[in-house]
Amino acid sequence: MEELDDLKSIWKQQPPGIDAKNTDEIARMLQGRSTSIVTRLKRSVWFELAFTLISGIALATYGLYAKSGQLKWMVLTLSVIFAVYIFYYIKKLLLLSRYTLNETDLKTNLENLIAGLTTYLSFYKRSYTILYPVFFCLGLFFGAMDAGLDNFLHRFKQLSFLIWFVLITGIFMVGVFRITGWYLKKLYGDHLEKLKELLRELESIR
Amino acid sequence: MPPDSEQERYFINLVNEHQGLIHKVCMMYENDRDARNDLFQEVVLQLWKSFHTFRGDSKITTWMYRIALNTAISGLRKQGRKIQTEELNDYHLNVSDRESDNAEENFEKLQWAIRKLSEIERAMIMMALDEIPYDEIAETIGITQNNVRVRMNRIREKLRKLMNG
Repeated sequence: MEELDDLKSIWKQQPPGIDAKNTDEIARMLQGRSTSIVTRLKRSVWFELAFTLISGIALATYGLYAKSGQLKWMVLTLSVIFAVYIFYYIKKLLLLSRYTLNETDLKTNLENLIAGLTTYLSFYKRSYTILYPVFFCLGLFFGAMDAGLDNFLHRFKQLSFLIWFVLITGIFMVGVFRITGWYLKKLYGDHLEKLKELLRELESIR
Repeated sequence: MPPDSEQERYFINLVNEHQGLIHKVCMMYENDRDARNDLFQEVVLQLWKSFHTFRGDSKITTWMYRIALNTAISGLRKQGRKIQTEELNDYHLNVSDRESDNAEENFEKLQWAIRKLSEIERAMIMMALDEIPYDEIAETIGITQNNVRVRMNRIREKLRKLMNG
């Protein structure tokens, strides 16, 4: 039974317990949505892009029609940040579009997917390494505007406040970087490791 | 839902005719029924997307294997859905204790043994069992024919041990 020819005759049978599909079901499948990792990534970036675009337009409209004052400038600044984010999402989509599944052999496919995901993840990491400190500084800036610049600066003359501020800033920054790193690893990092492991196995075949 | 083009009708009939191949790939790479159905749909979608690239240079089953394996191994994969070999230990005991003289049991035993192999080995043995020539297996996997030959010997040895318990 263990010789290849014997196994071939067993293999030719219709597998037991399968859900055989009819032509109508297959036709319906062609209208379905893909669940491949790249398609899912693209879908989530498109969603984020649409959300940012709508929010940015709404904020800009509100800012332009608002009476002058701190709130107007805060809203306009936020809408400018959202506009920058649109380029960020377009760049992400361009990175993801480089990858096309299936057109090549398994090894090349794995290499392409690993390269694509690695570039995508490193871009993601680079961008939040820049954006989080920017957001933090903007938060401080708006806080200073709200409290009045003199009041705000006066607090920093108190040593206890300064220590507290540095401590909280450190905890916040380390926290958000770690959480984002963990989130990315959980979403795509483990998948990437698995792909690398498969490629190593293919490369070890001699 | 009626297919709206001649090409689409042809494609649907092709998938219908060879759906056993797709089902076998799904069985070897996914553990539960829902995950297999999801993978089946994804493979059909990817086949349809790539259908224009099939020029008839290789067997239609080779082309289908290429797409199906790429999708199953590198393209889909939801965490926690992979087949864990530990889950299969009890299955072997149940099957090997019975008289494996009917077709269904033999298939289940073979399926169990193949699922104990690595994902790459599974891909290779499935194609070999479907009579795909070694040069086309090499082309699908992306290794040399000689490497396929060497690895196939090892896979056969592993299967022999597994099947004989």
